[in-house]
Amino acid sequence: MLQKVYDWIDERVDITPLWRDIADHEVPEHVNPAHHFSAFVYCFGGLTFFVTVIQILSGMFLTMYYVPDIENAWRSVYYLQTEVAHGQIVRGMHHWGASVVIVMLFLHTLRVFFQGAYKKPRELNWMVGVLIFFVMLALGLTGYLLPWDNKAYFATVVTLQIAEQVPLIGEFAKTLLNGDPSIVGAQTLARFFAIHVFFLPAALFVLMAVHFIMIRKQGISGPL
Amino acid sequence: MSEKKQQVSRRQFLNYTLTGVGGFMAASMLAPMVRFAIDPVLKASSASEMHAVVEVSEITKEPQRFDWTVEQVDAWYTSDVTHSAWVYKNEKDEIIPLSPVCKHLGCQVNWATNEPDEFYCPCHGGRYYKSGENVPNTPPNAPLDLYEFEVRDGTLFLGQPVPRQEV
Amino acid sequence: MKFVGDSRIPAEKQKFIPKDYSEYPGRTEAFWPNFLLKEWLVGAVFLVGFLCLTVAHPAPLEKIADPTDASYIPLPDWYFLFLYQLLKYEFASGPYFVLGALIIPGLAFGGLFLAPFLDKGKERRPHKRPITTSLMILGFVAVFWLTYEAAAHVDWEAKAENNKPELPSEVEIDTSDPGYAVFEKSCMQCHGGELEGGAAAPTLIGIDYSVDEIKDIAVNGIGSMPANQFQGSDEELQQLAEFIVSVNEEQE
Repeated sequence: MLQKVYDWIDERVDITPLWRDIADHEVPEHVNPAHHFSAFVYCFGGLTFFVTVIQILSGMFLTMYYVPDIENAWRSVYYLQTEVAHGQIVRGMHHWGASVVIVMLFLHTLRVFFQGAYKKPRELNWMVGVLIFFVMLALGLTGYLLPWDNKAYFATVVTLQIAEQVPLIGEFAKTLLNGDPSIVGAQTLARFFAIHVFFLPAALFVLMAVHFIMIRKQGISGPL
Repeated sequence: MSEKKQQVSRRQFLNYTLTGVGGFMAASMLAPMVRFAIDPVLKASSASEMHAVVEVSEITKEPQRFDWTVEQVDAWYTSDVTHSAWVYKNEKDEIIPLSPVCKHLGCQVNWATNEPDEFYCPCHGGRYYKSGENVPNTPPNAPLDLYEFEVRDGTLFLGQPVPRQEV
Repeated sequence: MKFVGDSRIPAEKQKFIPKDYSEYPGRTEAFWPNFLLKEWLVGAVFLVGFLCLTVAHPAPLEKIADPTDASYIPLPDWYFLFLYQLLKYEFASGPYFVLGALIIPGLAFGGLFLAPFLDKGKERRPHKRPITTSLMILGFVAVFWLTYEAAAHVDWEAKAENNKPELPSEVEIDTSDPGYAVFEKSCMQCHGGELEGGAAAPTLIGIDYSVDEIKDIAVNGIGSMPANQFQGSDEELQQLAEFIVSVNEEQE
């Protein structure tokens, strides 16, 4: 039955090459933990991707309850944590995932760095990777404000203060992030929400796609 | 030949295991999230509360509109919401509290604004007899809902509107 | 070539044979399903551990943001603590703020970003490129140490205790009550204009004391509250206690 449905679609759209292209490629033996246990260091990149998937899913579900509004943001987070079934777990996944993804990203970066895997021909992919790191940090920074509790508010005030002190563009950058030259409030929360939920994930998807395509093209760096 | 056959079954075995492990990961990841999302569906609707609306002595044979305000808790948002009912006493001196929501498309009906002794819905010209039953061949196809009600110490308390069967 | 209808889809499907990878350097195995299975097994173990973490440690939520809370000491998320700590030092603050906030992190992250162009040698093994390796270790140790310094000076438990989430009170404070005037004079400094409490004193909403007990506490103190906080006549004391009790009754 399934096979027939598949064949019907395949006849019309020719989907076999699409997924075979993703599925059929080889992986060198030296990255396989089943051969050498020390190869577990190669898992960090995959785990980073896995946690990113968890973050995207849990984030999507959280927005079913969360509202980015200074009157209601905290109340909605409190509500989803205390009143909604499994709310504690879903928010926990997103909260702890944010930390774990940074840890994994950090370990992945260290692995690539100490193996010198960024050298020719993989310079570009290293730079894309560092950009992904920055996007992740920015996601953490903007996501920190969203529950609109005390630590969120005051940490953001400090962050914006730092942005303001940058020479030349400081004032401009601060107002751009803040939405208002002085008040950290309704407009700030709306902006941070938009950045956290639309702009940065969009950038992340593009960068990740480039990262993966380049890995496929270049293959994994050889053993030391 | 036999070696090739074994090769195929090994690949199949790997594929099954792969599906199994992938399924486990997807399930344990999504289970809490899906339960989280469908929570409103599974939440038991809270037992309907009765609200004091009007003194029984004020109710006449002629339908009158009474409003009352309820504190409505909508998750994290609490607000005051006004409900209304058309209430009258019939020939047997029974209290009839009718919901003002038209059964056609949810507009508010009025008493005796178009035809005497009939409820009339201005949106699509729906009509109801005084009993709340719909006039045949007008848009609504069911009588107006009746509120759950009780009388305590001479005051009328109303609960939720309950749909009636078609006549 | 034959096509399906007038489309560009080839009508004759060939059997899909995986490419021959034997020419690639090194020994290899297929990604699907051999390698992916191992990767997913690691992922499954990781996921179980991760879910245990989320169940064991609920995500923290503090009180709703209160811009007037002057006693709150802000802290960033742990992965920004090293920057937070850096900006505490003299050489990175005051007139040198730009150095601490921009130049030092800028050099570090810029170096990281441009690493392939700064370290152009062919050699990949860490001990064959000592400068690169030692710079990275230095950076790592610095970040680790700064994070530790920042975190070690915070009393995390007390911070969590002081900032437990609670629904903001819906109590209307009747400021025209004569008791409120007394409250303003003697108690507001510590207990706050809406009885919400502050750094030095707890909230007065949701307490379970009688009028006489409150009168006693106002005069003699309780816990860390010193005696003789209340200044005024006995009549005012009575008004104050009745006011506080009335607020608490309203809350129920």
